[in-house]
Amino acid sequence: MIEMRVFRWKRDQEPRYDHFLLPYGPRTTVLDLLEVIRVDHDPGLVYRHSCHHGACGTCAMRINGVERLACLTCVADLLKEESRVIVEPLNGFPLLGDLVVEMTPFNERLAAVGLPPLRRCELPGEPPEGGAVQLEDCIECGACVSACPVAVTDHHYLGPAALNAIWRAVEEPRGLDVEPLLDMADGEHGCWRCHAVFECSEVCPNQTGPAEAIMRLRQRLFIRRLRQLLRGGDGHGRA
Amino acid sequence: MGMDEGMGGTGPGRYARTDWGWLLQAATGLGLVVLGTVHLITQHFTARKLLDYAEVTAWLRQPWVLVVEILFLGTVVAHAVLGVRSILLDLGPSPAAEQRVTRLTLIAGVALVVYGVGLTALVVMR
Amino acid sequence: MVGRDPRPRWLQVGRAWLYPRGRRLGGWAFILNRLSGLVLTAYLLLHLTLLSTLAWSPAAYDWFIELMSSRLVLLFDLALAAVLIYHGLNGIRLTLVGLGVGVTRHKEIFWAAMLVGLLLLGYGGYRLWGGM
Repeated sequence: MIEMRVFRWKRDQEPRYDHFLLPYGPRTTVLDLLEVIRVDHDPGLVYRHSCHHGACGTCAMRINGVERLACLTCVADLLKEESRVIVEPLNGFPLLGDLVVEMTPFNERLAAVGLPPLRRCELPGEPPEGGAVQLEDCIECGACVSACPVAVTDHHYLGPAALNAIWRAVEEPRGLDVEPLLDMADGEHGCWRCHAVFECSEVCPNQTGPAEAIMRLRQRLFIRRLRQLLRGGDGHGRA
Repeated sequence: MGMDEGMGGTGPGRYARTDWGWLLQAATGLGLVVLGTVHLITQHFTARKLLDYAEVTAWLRQPWVLVVEILFLGTVVAHAVLGVRSILLDLGPSPAAEQRVTRLTLIAGVALVVYGVGLTALVVMR
Repeated sequence: MVGRDPRPRWLQVGRAWLYPRGRRLGGWAFILNRLSGLVLTAYLLLHLTLLSTLAWSPAAYDWFIELMSSRLVLLFDLALAAVLIYHGLNGIRLTLVGLGVGVTRHKEIFWAAMLVGLLLLGYGGYRLWGGM
């Protein structure tokens, strides 16, 4: 049996942690246990879930203080480090109830930046004509934003997910005009607000490396600014 | 301001102004690695004891020492003030509050440098 | 927008910036950098204030220096040196990484910086203790 503590909150109530004692097996995930709670103990528990195999990013939440996908987090693995499981919603997003957070502003921000859907990839053997492409790795789960100490307290900050998307567009424009995106990243709420904590890259379920992207963006923008200063261009990278 | 508003507005117009804070912070930091080392070595490690009044005065009356110490003062105050500003900006203030933070920290920085230069002038010219 | 966070704002900020649970190396380095920066800023203000004894009289300043030469104060000096060395060396790491240099090796750079810091602190301790 495992002791599970789940953050609970509904409007007009005080937040609290509910305790459950639940059976588990070697392959039981945190999402499995949440479903057991909802079916057998408290149908009022709200949480998001969809694909159950780490491809949609819907079930991102904080488990024992770390942002993870609940469908991929094995309870047996957690017990190697701690004796119980604590489940909380993502930080930095408005709470709707229990483990569900408001994702609309996050999605709108990614839409404004333009989430590039394709990227180059390496395949073993002879590459096909024109190179190989894959679907973008970022599943927009929001774990990176929750792990970022700046994004959680400063809601103007673009955040690791959006900045990662900007960098990917800059890296592979595919016909896109990247100057407005570089201006966005260079702005007062852009990549310069990052404090190099690197927690975003640590928690990303697909290792998309948002922190590394931010640092590379900075290098690009630093060189752009130097060129502007030397050439006396306008503030937008155009001479 | 608070979590009720969620994430701020999106769109390129909102992000038009560039930010020099981080670059200045890095530049002053690197400057301090040099100037701070010089200051620590000359003020604390050259003699077998801390410098007394006479030694400090004699030291500061040398022109290159005066220049380096004032440069050091300016750089360390700038770095500290930028740091405090950065922490305050992490709280996500509104654009108006953000301008106030920048203005106040700038004033505090200038005041500290004026005080330090004034004190130095007093000691050197006595 | 209907969601909100039921926790008070100061708790949100405190947890976001200082809560150690689940943090990895980068997160710890950040907390220590922020705290050391605040300590050093407080020290800067204290130092500038105490130096005003220079304006009172030579006797006042010399008395102050005598006070600052005690073994206890030298111990504080060493602690302050440790804070300064950490902040400076981690700051160099942040500058390098922050401009895209060594981005994938930021942890190794951190430990290399701490090793240098330990050596510097050891030397500083030797000079402070033995020399004074």
